[in-house]
Amino acid sequence: MIDLRFNRVSKKYRIQQHDDGRARLNPLARRLKNLLSRRQDFWALRDVSFEVTRGETLGIIGPNGAGKSTILKLLSRITAPTSGEIVINGRLSAMIEIGSGFHPELTGRENIYLNGSILGMRRREIAEKLDRIIEFAGVAEFIDTPVKHYSSGMYVRLGFSIAAHLNPHILLLDEVLAVGDASFQVKCLQRVSELRQRGTTIVFISHDLAAVERLCDRALLLNHGRIIAMGLPREVIAEYRRIAYGDTPPEQMSAEIDFKPVEIMNLSLYDSQERPTTNFFTGKPFSARVEYVAHERVVDAAFELFCYSHDGAYIHCQFTTAQDGKRITLEPGAGAVEFHCSELGLQPGVYTIGAAVKERAASRNIDWRYGDKMLHVEEGKYVRGSFYLPHDWRIHQSTDARTKQQAIR
Amino acid sequence: MASSIQSKTIGGALPSIDARPVTIIRAPSVSPFGLIKNLTELAHYRDLLYTLTVHRIKVRYKQSLLGGAWAVIQPLSMMLIFTLVFSLIARVPSDGAPYALFAYVALLAWNCFSTAIANSTAGLVSHSQLVTKVYFPREILPLTYVLAALFDFLIASSVLAVLMLYYGVPLTLNALYALPIILVLALLATAIALLLSATQARFRDVGVAVPLVLQLWMFATPIIYPLSAVPARFRPLYLFNPMVGVIENFRRVILRCAPPDFNSLGTSAFTAALLLIASYIYFKRVEATMADII
Repeated sequence: MIDLRFNRVSKKYRIQQHDDGRARLNPLARRLKNLLSRRQDFWALRDVSFEVTRGETLGIIGPNGAGKSTILKLLSRITAPTSGEIVINGRLSAMIEIGSGFHPELTGRENIYLNGSILGMRRREIAEKLDRIIEFAGVAEFIDTPVKHYSSGMYVRLGFSIAAHLNPHILLLDEVLAVGDASFQVKCLQRVSELRQRGTTIVFISHDLAAVERLCDRALLLNHGRIIAMGLPREVIAEYRRIAYGDTPPEQMSAEIDFKPVEIMNLSLYDSQERPTTNFFTGKPFSARVEYVAHERVVDAAFELFCYSHDGAYIHCQFTTAQDGKRITLEPGAGAVEFHCSELGLQPGVYTIGAAVKERAASRNIDWRYGDKMLHVEEGKYVRGSFYLPHDWRIHQSTDARTKQQAIR
Repeated sequence: MASSIQSKTIGGALPSIDARPVTIIRAPSVSPFGLIKNLTELAHYRDLLYTLTVHRIKVRYKQSLLGGAWAVIQPLSMMLIFTLVFSLIARVPSDGAPYALFAYVALLAWNCFSTAIANSTAGLVSHSQLVTKVYFPREILPLTYVLAALFDFLIASSVLAVLMLYYGVPLTLNALYALPIILVLALLATAIALLLSATQARFRDVGVAVPLVLQLWMFATPIIYPLSAVPARFRPLYLFNPMVGVIENFRRVILRCAPPDFNSLGTSAFTAALLLIASYIYFKRVEATMADII
């Protein structure tokens, strides 16, 4: 059953070209010429065709200006295509730009009705869900206060709560998951997986590659308005990283080599008590364990643990051999490498962690796992800036000052 | 606390499978069947029309001391000024009725018309935030301004009742003709609101020109003077203005307790209907890619 079909869809925008004023025209004539002149055409989408089956979650990724937002706008009927046909089988709702339909002068309650009906809900339907919407947003106390007095957090929570109570057949998700604090992101993700389990067809348009990989059954890569890759999220994301960051695609490389001497079987994360978790705190212990199976003896192997920010930027990589300089020889059979860090340097946020194994002599990876694990870092030790440095402080003072200080104490 | 809430079901049951609407989106085109489809869709969104209209009325008078009283103050003060100038100084005829009442009745209807148009022209552009983010039939936006103006008209009508009592003008059953007359006025206002708001999305000149045009239009309509004062040779041209039939007949059924002149009212109604269909088709054509240019 196909819920969504794009059939050779193209969208052309006209970019207005202003007269530079050199032509000898009077101001009025020039303005008229500017308004009516032929504009330069820009194809935001060119012959895009794809289908989404019922219950499937499709991720759409691509660099800025690739046409992602155009697909979103076409699907949500904000604008019409220049040619081609889009068939939507079912009620489609878009969870985009939370709170964009709010009016600051109206109360929270009035805004629920306003925003709900803009998103296509009936008043009766909203009235039935009103209590649940308020409860989920956690703004019961202020529900009859104009939303202009709301904090930005309350604003977002109320907006999300309304959107989360829509019951679409097909859900369109934008970067909503990227806004709000870590706990809000988790709440969003939970709600989305819940909808998935109930069989809702989802189109997820995002820069958040980790979320795309985790949530989607299939992904589609756009560049310059055309589809350049479609398939398993892992593969499509690798292709995206190749064009966006110039990364070497591991999947392609491993495809060249049919036989992997070593395979990474699992990557797991542990807290200080050796309990598996994905939640960590800045400046607190962090451990990872890479389980592998070696099919033959590998002399001088190296393991890597690397980290991406939520938008897919490569931020960090740690090597086993760089740590102690000793050679690692893998004997055939199963084994594991553990990584221990007593103070995690990452600032609060959502990251993805991956692992790779390679031969030190050859620069090629033997096996590579991209962003396999989500990592939620919450505020532990507080520092400003982009990372935390493991440290301790020592204070040196003259003996006089020290005795004085002791006297004060 | 948050997690305990999450575990509860959100949204209730899944929508039933058989109720799946199929939407087909294609490049914009003009077709006669489109009109019926558009109207069906508009009917589907009637709750939004209602909510936005209520919102429009509420927001307009929020954080203002006099609130809804402004709906009365506007035509009332215009009436006082016109009475002062055209009755005491210039001595304009008023078909035998007290000039204050004569002017107020016409101003009541005219104000409704001009407020609807003046506000709705900018209606789409001032909601560009919404227009570029969510889909709903865009005609709802200008329509809400027309409905809000009709609401103000109702409030201001109460003052008319007081004035009529004061001057001892009786009200007859013929006053019920006011309803179809106001309907024609509303259709005409809607037609022009659709036309102007869609054009404003592309050419902002419209917003600047509208107050000026409305002022000229007011003087070309029998508001401060009676239709009988217009020289006979100008009449045919004058009657081209569809608001003439509306205003003159409105005054006629209220003040002169006579049935309307069906000829002029019919012409106005016909013009309004034609204009409405044309401007609705035009509006929907512009709407398709409005978000790109707004």
